[in-house]
Amino acid sequence: MEDRRTHLSAFLAHVTTRRQVLRGALAAGALVAGGLLASCRQGAATPTAAPAGQTPAAGPTVVSTPGAVTEFPRNETLFVAGFQWGPPTTFNPMTPGTGWPAGGQYQHIYETLFAFNLLTGGIEPQLGEKLETPDSATMVITLHQGTKWQDGKPLTADDVVFTYELAKDHPEVPHNTFFDYVSQITKVDDRTIRLDLNKERLNPGFVKQFLASVKILPKHIWEERAKSGQTLTEIVDTEPVGSGPYKLVGFSPERVALQRDDNYWGISVFGTPAPKYIVHPIFKSNDEGNLALEQGRIDISQQFAPKIWEMWEKKNLPVGTWFKQPPYHVPGSIPLLFINVHKKPWDNPTLRRALAYAINYAQIAELAMSRYSITANSSLIIPDGAEKKFYDQANVDQNGWKHDPQRAVQILEQELGAKKGNDGIYVLPDGTRLGPFKVECPYGWTDWQTALELVAQSAKDVGIEINTEFPDAPVLFTRIPNGDFELALWFVNGVSPASPWIRFRDVLDDRGVPPVGQQAFWNYNRYSNPAVADLLDRAAASQNEAEQKELFAELDRIFMKDAPVIPLMYRPLEFYEYNESVWTGFPNADNPTAPPQQSGAGIKILYVIKAKS
Amino acid sequence: MDVVAAPQKHTVVRRGPLRLLLSILRLGGIGVNARFWVSIGLLSAILIFGLLGPALLGKRDPLRIVGGLYDPPSSKVWLGTDNFGRDVFTQLMYGTRTSLTIGLIAGAIATGIGVAIGTLAGFRGGMVEEALMGFTNVVITIPSIVILILLSIAVQSRSILAMGLIIGITSWPWTARAVRAQTASLRAREHLDIARLSGAGTLSLILWDIIPYMFSYIFMAFVLQFASGILQEAALSLLGLGPSNTISLGIMLHWSLLWEAVRTGAWWAFFPPTVFLTVIAFALLLLQSSLDEIFNPRLRRK
Repeated sequence: MEDRRTHLSAFLAHVTTRRQVLRGALAAGALVAGGLLASCRQGAATPTAAPAGQTPAAGPTVVSTPGAVTEFPRNETLFVAGFQWGPPTTFNPMTPGTGWPAGGQYQHIYETLFAFNLLTGGIEPQLGEKLETPDSATMVITLHQGTKWQDGKPLTADDVVFTYELAKDHPEVPHNTFFDYVSQITKVDDRTIRLDLNKERLNPGFVKQFLASVKILPKHIWEERAKSGQTLTEIVDTEPVGSGPYKLVGFSPERVALQRDDNYWGISVFGTPAPKYIVHPIFKSNDEGNLALEQGRIDISQQFAPKIWEMWEKKNLPVGTWFKQPPYHVPGSIPLLFINVHKKPWDNPTLRRALAYAINYAQIAELAMSRYSITANSSLIIPDGAEKKFYDQANVDQNGWKHDPQRAVQILEQELGAKKGNDGIYVLPDGTRLGPFKVECPYGWTDWQTALELVAQSAKDVGIEINTEFPDAPVLFTRIPNGDFELALWFVNGVSPASPWIRFRDVLDDRGVPPVGQQAFWNYNRYSNPAVADLLDRAAASQNEAEQKELFAELDRIFMKDAPVIPLMYRPLEFYEYNESVWTGFPNADNPTAPPQQSGAGIKILYVIKAKS
Repeated sequence: MDVVAAPQKHTVVRRGPLRLLLSILRLGGIGVNARFWVSIGLLSAILIFGLLGPALLGKRDPLRIVGGLYDPPSSKVWLGTDNFGRDVFTQLMYGTRTSLTIGLIAGAIATGIGVAIGTLAGFRGGMVEEALMGFTNVVITIPSIVILILLSIAVQSRSILAMGLIIGITSWPWTARAVRAQTASLRAREHLDIARLSGAGTLSLILWDIIPYMFSYIFMAFVLQFASGILQEAALSLLGLGPSNTISLGIMLHWSLLWEAVRTGAWWAFFPPTVFLTVIAFALLLLQSSLDEIFNPRLRRK
């Protein structure tokens, strides 16, 4: 319990510093990272949009590091946008809301053992060369030859074991639940590490998620800090020493600048990344960044940009996304409409299903998501990308719902016995009027706000009155985990090595969920079903894809029957938009040389692009 | 002395920029009456558009989704669609109506409170005046936009009426001050002594012997409050604190900003509501200033 409290405060601090809303960071490694933090949602992503314009009061004025590079030749510099909002203050990879690219799963400065690829759902070599599983409860990791830190010292198994073992006596670190799933991490030799998984909670997928999201730290620097008794997340680090291909060479409230490390250990393995510099200008709002992308001042962006296709269809700009046609992006997460299953009249699953039939999902995909989503299915499995192999269309067709207002009316009238009042709103037999209900999401997350306006409109069309409310994000970051809401659009884990298991846990598992009024880390609406726990544990431990698919289908049936949440749309893990005015060769669906992400395995993008001149 | 000085000072301060504007308008030789008729013409056009438009052009739900994300103007949707795929022209009609309604409610409430406090303070004098004006001065020092934002967040449901109320009860102080000054100067008039001798009470005196004498002033104050009420509503709606489940000019601007209408070139989403707000505010200010000249012969120019 102790550790959770610490995490809560760290988490809230994080939320406050990122008030101004990161449009796409939802996506980002943030969410993936967020996933692994079983008990702490740091790095939890905020899908979003147009910042309200305020800059967080971020302590003392940030000073650029000494000897900062100020000249960035255009054809040697890659300009990126969409990851950093507000002035960076620290580059400590464990601090919630730390400066880009120290946190999340970005591999530029600090590296993880393996890198997550959102297209395959697998993990690829980064610091680790190979991952072997001699039996279902053991993993053996071999490091690449010659791994070293940016200060020249060798990176060995000692650093890896040190980093993971921080979770033992430092409950504030993001991977603090690591030892719930792994009973022991041991150094076999300088290049080999063995993990003994906890047989009671066998979950190889979730352990892989740790391997793809825990940044390995230099023991020779962090050991002293760890022993000093300081809270590790509170350490301000403005001169990070990592093992990655880029070094931090300057930062200010206007930008973060990285310079290639030509002594990078990985040059012999991966080659040399093309840009000598990477600069992330810090914009105040989405449209500022999107305009910069349009004008070629940004080469690659992760911001939500409405109607991006007009940039190449109408304006003939060399702009692209992963797909050249809708949905333009690879789906990576499902924003869910949470329904409080303990508040009357929503405690009745039949009413929840009536609402599910009422919502026009195609309209949400077209208008709220600017066509960046396919029409949402009534499944907790994403029907494309890494989770496609688990998606069961027949199951959804048979047990799920789709937009069908007549069916919604039929349920209301025949199954619930509701009568339509003079104002067009139904009244249940016990006299409960179906509305006004309150549906909420944070202010400034424009696609979400728009989606909720459309939900309210759809509901009104069938005779349920729903009003929208858009409080500031920190308010909801407290209230929703506490179960204090009626209807709310919120996020759960996106695609990761542990998905879709982790998403089913986030929605259906009532184990480890405190009562309403206390902070929950999953299952915010406190849904409970005795059949779920066993199915979830079997799906987590299973090594057999066919068996897993059947278990997930069974969980999906429970979900579709009770509808504790309603999937409204799909969002990419990261928006991926590039402008080829200066750099060319960006990967896309026709040329899939790297996945469309700047975190994890997306670091490969830097190796495949080329400067035009 | 100060009783007389106060309204004059007030007049000068409020008229500065207006005078400039008027002198520019006057270049074409247009006189007081012309300006009055121009403002009446503009206002009638807007009123007809907002109030009768929906009836004349067929009642349509402004929240109905008819197209896609920022469809350009066409013969079907005369001013294109907004980010929800809703018809901008229909929204403009209903939005104008909402904005006018809120402005009217806010203006009436602000003027009502201002006149009540101002006349009572000016007429009674003494401790009552000290207390009321002290309170007014305290309220004046608090930036009203702050109170507006706090109130808007606090209320459960932001209906059109609630919005009008919230704006009205935060914008009365300057009216109260000006009315008090006017009342204080009227207090010494002889007809009041006669009324008092015939046994009239405070309320009766204020209602029948004070207010009618400054009716023109109150009406002009109301026109200004009306204009500022509309602009306040737009400001709140821009922040996302506008009335719920309806459309107003400010809400239209709010969504067009969130959805980057400027960058994506969807001018139809932000330009018409901006023009309407400008024209409404301009027409009301023009009306106020021309009325000022009609009511106050000293301001008339040859």
